[in-house]
Amino acid sequence: MDAKLFPGTLESLAGIADYVLAAAAHSGLDKRATYRLRLAVDEVATNIVAHGYVEAGLSGHIQVVATTHSDRLQVILEDTAIPYNPLTQATPDNLDTPIAERPLGGLGVFLTIQGCDRFAYEYHDGHNRNIFEMNLPTPTEPTP
Amino acid sequence: MEIRTETTGGITVVSLRGDIDASTAPQVQESVLPLVTAGSKLLMDMTGVPYMSSAGLRALLSLYRQVAAKDGKLVLVGLSEEIADTMSITGFLDFFAARGTAAEGLQFLQEG
Repeated sequence: MDAKLFPGTLESLAGIADYVLAAAAHSGLDKRATYRLRLAVDEVATNIVAHGYVEAGLSGHIQVVATTHSDRLQVILEDTAIPYNPLTQATPDNLDTPIAERPLGGLGVFLTIQGCDRFAYEYHDGHNRNIFEMNLPTPTEPTP
Repeated sequence: MEIRTETTGGITVVSLRGDIDASTAPQVQESVLPLVTAGSKLLMDMTGVPYMSSAGLRALLSLYRQVAAKDGKLVLVGLSEEIADTMSITGFLDFFAARGTAAEGLQFLQEG
């Protein structure tokens, strides 16, 4: 699908989700995997807005692009916020602790990593690039 | 995000409709937390919620803590399969009472 640019604000989350859901439908991803991908992208986009842009006093955009390969659907979020690698955020080790007692950082990143078949982060020339991949159930024709 | 509140027989029923993400979770939290008073019985009907991110989990956690602090009782009903999955892998489901339907949720609240 053609890349789409969204303002780096929380109001963009719904539009980003619509883009991901359309890409998932187009690629034939099943319902459960579609939900997990949408959740992963939403969690990272939320972090980009909240921590990358707003907390840092910056503004900018988030570009979303989805590509269907023969065996997988790939979604890439790209932004110019402060460098932030979700993989450096420790996975919460307190999931057995009663929720009344635990701090709640890192849940979004945990859900992202749990939910994707592959997740990667790249930083290049001032751009953060978060790459989400979901395996497709059966091979399909690649789209240009 | 639509939030409907009604009270019946000493039980407050909150029906949510729409996706709960970081842009809508604050509305849920701000609408629901003030409903919790001493000994409140609260039913959260999430039948109309197809999606919830970790922002929603954090809102539910605030609610859980508020209800516990006020010696109240809380039940979630109508969780979608995917939301139940999210709550399960994060360990949340173990700490919430969850029932399939509003009728079952009301029964749970009336028992105690």
